Amino acid sequence: MLRIRNLNSGYGKLQVLYNLDIDVPTKGLTVVVGPNGAGKTTLLCSIMGIARVFSGDILYEDKSIAGKLTHTLAQKGISYVPQMGNVFAELSVLDNLQMAGYLSKKEDAKAKAEQMTEIFPVLKKFIHRKAGTLSGGERRMLAIAMGLMKDPKLMLLDELSTDLAPIIAEKVMMEVSRLRDELGITILMVEQMAKRALEIGDTAYLLVSGEVRYTGKADELLNEPELCSMYLGIKQADDKGSSFTLSATDEGSDQG
Amino acid sequence: MAPWMASGLIYASGLALTAGSITLLYITTRTFNFAVASMATWGFMLAYTGVSLYGGTPYVYLPLVFIAGSLLGLIAYYGLNRHLLRRNAAEITLMMSTLGYDLILLSIVQMFADYLTLTYKLYPRRVMLSAHDFQLFGERAAAFILPVIAIGLLVALHIFLTKTKFGIAMRATIENPVLAGASGINPDRVYMISWVISGGMSAIGGAAMAMAITGTPVMGMNTIPLMFAGAILGGLHSLYGGILGGFMIGLTEYAGVFYLSREIGPWIQGYRMGIPLILMAATLLLFPRGLAGIPWAKLFGNLFSRKRGDN
Amino acid sequence: MSAVAKTERKAPRLIGIRELVLLAIIIALLSFFIFSGREKTIWAIVFEFSIFAIITLSLNLETGFTGIPQFGRVAAVITGAFAVGALPGRLMAYIIGEPWGAEYANAVFNYRIVPVINELLASNIFYSIGFLLLCLFTAAVFGAAIGWLISRPAIRLKEAYLGISLLAFGDFFMWVGHNWNIMVGGSTPINVPDPFRIFGGDRFMAAVLVLFFIAIVIYIYLERLTKSPFGRNLKMIRDNEVSASAAGLDVVKVRTRSLVIGSAIAAMGGGLYVIYTGSIGAIGFQKLTFTFWPWAYMMLGGIGSNFGVLMGVMLLVILKTMIIVFRYDWFAFMVNVGIDPMWLEFTLMGAVIVLVILFVPHGLVPEKVEPVLPEERVKRVLAKRQLEKTSEPVS
Ligand SMILES: Nc1ncnc2c1ncn2[C@@H]1O[C@H](COP(=O)(O)OP(=O)(O)OP(=O)(O)O)[C@@H](O)[C@H]1O
Ligand SMILES: [Mg+2]
Repeated sequence: MLRIRNLNSGYGKLQVLYNLDIDVPTKGLTVVVGPNGAGKTTLLCSIMGIARVFSGDILYEDKSIAGKLTHTLAQKGISYVPQMGNVFAELSVLDNLQMAGYLSKKEDAKAKAEQMTEIFPVLKKFIHRKAGTLSGGERRMLAIAMGLMKDPKLMLLDELSTDLAPIIAEKVMMEVSRLRDELGITILMVEQMAKRALEIGDTAYLLVSGEVRYTGKADELLNEPELCSMYLGIKQADDKGSSFTLSATDEGSDQG
Repeated sequence: MAPWMASGLIYASGLALTAGSITLLYITTRTFNFAVASMATWGFMLAYTGVSLYGGTPYVYLPLVFIAGSLLGLIAYYGLNRHLLRRNAAEITLMMSTLGYDLILLSIVQMFADYLTLTYKLYPRRVMLSAHDFQLFGERAAAFILPVIAIGLLVALHIFLTKTKFGIAMRATIENPVLAGASGINPDRVYMISWVISGGMSAIGGAAMAMAITGTPVMGMNTIPLMFAGAILGGLHSLYGGILGGFMIGLTEYAGVFYLSREIGPWIQGYRMGIPLILMAATLLLFPRGLAGIPWAKLFGNLFSRKRGDN
Repeated sequence: MSAVAKTERKAPRLIGIRELVLLAIIIALLSFFIFSGREKTIWAIVFEFSIFAIITLSLNLETGFTGIPQFGRVAAVITGAFAVGALPGRLMAYIIGEPWGAEYANAVFNYRIVPVINELLASNIFYSIGFLLLCLFTAAVFGAAIGWLISRPAIRLKEAYLGISLLAFGDFFMWVGHNWNIMVGGSTPINVPDPFRIFGGDRFMAAVLVLFFIAIVIYIYLERLTKSPFGRNLKMIRDNEVSASAAGLDVVKVRTRSLVIGSAIAAMGGGLYVIYTGSIGAIGFQKLTFTFWPWAYMMLGGIGSNFGVLMGVMLLVILKTMIIVFRYDWFAFMVNVGIDPMWLEFTLMGAVIVLVILFVPHGLVPEKVEPVLPEERVKRVLAKRQLEKTSEPVS
């Protein structure tokens, strides 16, 4: 569905990404992992026409979208949940959802918003509050709900699990894989909770300093002890491993 | 009404509209619109042309004035601002570009004035537009009508921005253009509409102002510092602040001149521009973010919380 | 994208040619005046060029090199004009025993006193030169003072806020001059003693030559100033204030100095303008003429390029003069419907600003991008730091 060829991009004169080749197969869950500042967010921004593409091509459904304006990409069915600034802080939760469904008909958006408040009951509670007054986790949930409002063909998710309590993060991960399995949405996901993401993902890319270091099956990346410990802070075969330490090590990787 | 109040209200309404239009455009497009000066002058000039050639009161021509201002805004957007915004130009560049546009509009308004003089024997270089006003409750009607228009436009704008889908989309774009774009909102449309609204408001503001002061082809050019002062006083980040700031600037000038010339002497008239400027400077010193930066909630917090406690 | 890189690479090669072409165009335009039998106009052009070169160069120092949005250029110009209109003449009146208080600014007295002073000045070349220098000095001192005053808020306020405050206070200055009768006569223009009277019939030509000379001197001064370490500091602050102050620059001090120098120069421009015209009327100092035109000149020439500014001023002054001189020949169709083609001056000014921003954002002679510090100096500074570090524990 999405093919990126030889992409060089960045902000203004600053180049961040170098010669990237990335394939996002239809109905697949593609995971991008990498240390802080690797350029993961920049990759998503380049696809969305927010960062500047210097050279190379981005093909979406076999048509080039490099340098297209952001809102036209949204019209083409790409939904983007940014890492930062992913809700309208000055608008109420309801207005946020309404804006996320800007392109759909009013009734559809309304029904969809209803559905979202069922998935995330917290939102229902605060439906008339300004999004800026929500807690970090609540905000993230709103952002995800906004991403889902659009009935997208392709979803770009940037660090969904950050700010979320481990249990909720796990729920979100399950939700993401459900999106792929049940709704058949193609997903390109950037994730700090690398281990969990690689477990549910199909293909994975490891991005380091703007270049691809690893391409291949997601779970196979977990079998590369060197890459994992050096860039992702995942220690192999840790005996204390239980479902709880899983999230604990992942939290640790946030700083790494 | 106190003697200064009628003129003061009229003049302040004009300033409120222009300052509001500056603020609106600034929060949407980051552009300090210098062209408000000549858009306001065009508003006055068209209202004057209307009453002189076809009679009636100036109010009749306000819808036309609004449309003309909107057109000027549209031209500015498609001819200039759009390209610069796409290029992500610096704030100063955006401002300079509107200055260039303003000078072109100024030259055309001057030529238009010449044309009116030769062709229709009108003299638009020293106009008392209030001569075409009527009386209401023993005052000039403008003293009631124009504040109502200014506040009415504000209310309409408020409803538009909070209740309609496109209005909310506008606020969304103002706050977070990237996310708004990713939601499928076309920022071009948002910018275009704000140029239309702000152009119309400026033109009406100019026509309103000319009901209080002498209308000339350089009226806007001479009052633009005060329009900006109103916007700055309002804090530049809130439309309501901008309109309030414009009102304050206008009223302080008139009240200040009236009382000071009674206390100190009429010579103060010549320095009248200093009064609103001092107000602006003082506000900026105390609250660098203008009226909008004043912690209103804190000031009135006690009131509200007591209320809540009672319930 | 690659096109950008290409032009950037080409630019240095083109620059020499670009400047030559501009000069050729200017000479061609000037000779046009000669061939149409209006040599006299050239003197007027050179006069305007000199005054506005001074003012625009000062604007370029503050805006182009320091990044201060100086939308109140007129304020410093007025200060210089008022200072020259009010003080040196009074001093002379005092010396020769004429009334020099509030009466000096009263047209009735003024029109009688000034000719007496003029006679005295014309009697001795040293008196004339001394008076001219006194005027320049007065203007510069008052300009510097106003520059310092402006610099106080300029440190606190952000870009556009500052630009607008400056604009407002520029206007306010004009109204003060217009109303404060006892300074320079308020709404009635008063005369200013004329140090060029000594040249008799050649007075205007001599004055123009002197002004031109002063403009060139100021150009050379500013060119050297902006190439000096101080100039590099200015650019560093302009390009990135945070990193400049992180690098140990005293941003406030550097900015203040730039404003003080810039305002002093602009004030000299205003003072010279008054001396040349021989009279001062506050209402003549409009922001259109003394703020916006200089901006247009600077933008056309190239923000941050002193030579570009000279070219910009020259080209636009010529075009402006052409509109005025040939208005009845070229724009008869406007005259026929009662429109004074003089207004085209504003159209020209606005169109230049708009077109430059849209199509040649760096101006005709773009600023040369130089490394902030030559490589050698960077090495030296680093070495010095290293030394300081190692010597620290010892002391
Ligand atoms: N808007 C911007 N302008 C300039 N540089 C930027 C911008 N956004 C990011 N960068 C730079 O680009 C580089 C890559 O940033 P990016 O946000 O893509 O990293 P990331 O992989 O998403 O990191 P993280 O895991 O911390 O989110 C960083 O060095 C960053 O400083
Ligand atoms: Mg990121």
